[in-house]
Amino acid sequence: MSLTFLLIEDDEIERLKFARVMQKNNFNHNLIEVENGEEALKILENKDALPDIIFLDLNMPKMNGLEFLRILKSDTSLKYTPVVILSTSNNHNDLKECYETGIAGYLVKPLKYEDYAHKIKCLIEYWSVNEFVNV
Amino acid sequence: MANDIKILQRALDREKIARKQAEKILEDKSRELFDTSLELKEANERLEELIDVKRSELQGVFDNLVDAYVLMDLSGNVLDMNRSAVNLFGYDISEGLNVLKLIYKEDYGYAMTSFNALLTTGSFSDYQARVYTKHKGIRTVHINASIIKNKNGKAIGAQGIVRDITENLTQQRIFEEQKKQLSVIVDNSSLGIALTQFGKIIQTNRAFQNFLGYTEEELKTMSVADISVKEEYEESAENMEKMNSDQIDHFTVNKRYVQKNGSHFWARTSVAAVRNPDRSVKYQVALIDDITEEMEHEKQREILLDNLEKSNKDLQDFAHIVSHDLKSPLRSMNALITWIREDYEEVLDDTAQKSFDMLLKKVDKMDHLITGILKYSSIDKTETSKKPIDLKEVIQDIIDIIFIPDHIKISVTSPLPVVLGDKFRLQQLFQNLLNNAVKYNDKEEGIITVNCENENDFWKFSIEDNGPGISKRYHQKIFQIFQTLDNGKESTGVGLSIVKKIVDMYQGKIWVESEEGLGTTFYFTLKKV
Repeated sequence: MSLTFLLIEDDEIERLKFARVMQKNNFNHNLIEVENGEEALKILENKDALPDIIFLDLNMPKMNGLEFLRILKSDTSLKYTPVVILSTSNNHNDLKECYETGIAGYLVKPLKYEDYAHKIKCLIEYWSVNEFVNV
Repeated sequence: MANDIKILQRALDREKIARKQAEKILEDKSRELFDTSLELKEANERLEELIDVKRSELQGVFDNLVDAYVLMDLSGNVLDMNRSAVNLFGYDISEGLNVLKLIYKEDYGYAMTSFNALLTTGSFSDYQARVYTKHKGIRTVHINASIIKNKNGKAIGAQGIVRDITENLTQQRIFEEQKKQLSVIVDNSSLGIALTQFGKIIQTNRAFQNFLGYTEEELKTMSVADISVKEEYEESAENMEKMNSDQIDHFTVNKRYVQKNGSHFWARTSVAAVRNPDRSVKYQVALIDDITEEMEHEKQREILLDNLEKSNKDLQDFAHIVSHDLKSPLRSMNALITWIREDYEEVLDDTAQKSFDMLLKKVDKMDHLITGILKYSSIDKTETSKKPIDLKEVIQDIIDIIFIPDHIKISVTSPLPVVLGDKFRLQQLFQNLLNNAVKYNDKEEGIITVNCENENDFWKFSIEDNGPGISKRYHQKIFQIFQTLDNGKESTGVGLSIVKKIVDMYQGKIWVESEEGLGTTFYFTLKKV
């Protein structure tokens, strides 16, 4: 089954990293990349082509990840889409707030690319075997 | 004739009867007389008995009189004394005593004047003078005396009741002295002191007058309400009410006072009740202390503390944000280097591969340093989590967690206490020290010893190793952040600075004793809570 991912990440190299992991593993999924929350919300306006999963960076200029998450979770048609946080911080408060607002996972980006590649691979494989809500 | 005889005979008979009657009456009377005299005798005896009783009663009173009683003739020879008198003067009546002998030299004139007054007026009272006694030295006595006259009204002697008032006078003098001392204290006290009754000011000391700018006389006409700020007076009045109803005996409030010139000052006011035997309030004693400056300082302190808290928080947030922002490019660098190596594996020679390896190691080191800042800055001194933590368990956990090579042994040589604190911090503290002791040990047989001693308000711990030792010139430096004696990539110079920060948190001290080549002992104390 081919899934559609929405990656919200302001750092170009981080976006490259994610794409490279998908490409290297020959994952047959569709990846939409946006640089910030505002762009993401535009994409999400098209209710006919909603992504299956959202990968969200927390530290972004303008609208930060948590603000975007709150908007998403208060939207009746978007709140079922699982959100996985890709963060640089394992700060206790960040974790707590994210889980309170409603996330499906929280991944801390490791320093080494090899470690990162391994984590993302596991993540994608895990979500490939999940069921999703169709609104 | 016969008639005459008969008449005579009858007369004789009558006479006989009459005589018999007379005899009978006489007999009765004399019996009555006898009885009466008998009764009289009995009565007399009873009377005498009664006199005896009275006399012995009198003697008893005389003997048991608390005051000394002295009976003397007009020349001053003592005729009789009671027991108290004997006790007081120390002389026995049998020794023969003249009161002149007792009179204190300097009081002689006064004594003579008083004696003359006694003779002319028949008595004196409230005579107060000093006397010599046989054993107790000079005593001060109080005497009431009167003249005794015979039935013709002639003075035949004098009696006196003598009371020893030496003790009373001493007590009174002590009392007066204390009163004087107290008033000196009150007058010179830097605390304002006021005596009030039902809200009226009765008495004030100099400090109180100075505080308020009123004179003593002015204050005496005023009430507490006159020198209080209205809203605050009500709070005091509430406390006063409680005091009056015997719920409390004293209270302390910080309140403002209104000075004569209309300005206010802050004072800590302690009010205590002086009660009557029936527990009703007789007076209130108020002590006031000008705390305007103190309040000013307190306010400044609060502002400073507030600012400090803010800048601490800012600093923490700053360190947090900066470290994450610094880490992000490192991740990118790591990714890019890794890709170049992967993508151009065939093209790159060994030297290039080595250079990339070193580049990656430097990136790694940079990441470690940033992690160190993050860890160091996240130790908040105001952290308040205080639970009983068994250090024995903490040490055991650490021994289980950290990698200890077979040739190194950690032993605990004393019982470890349960301390109040944060488990994570305490573990960080011991783990950093133990980790260093293990990591840098260079001996074939590594020995690490943990010990704890009880030192008054502190626990004193030591962690001793037989490692390479630390040169004396680094004993201070090692506790500063990013100071490391190791050139290896693993050491970031954060561990001991964290240790120091945690020891500071527990108001302890840390120091090191070491001999190069032989080993190092880290000592630190933690304050018991």
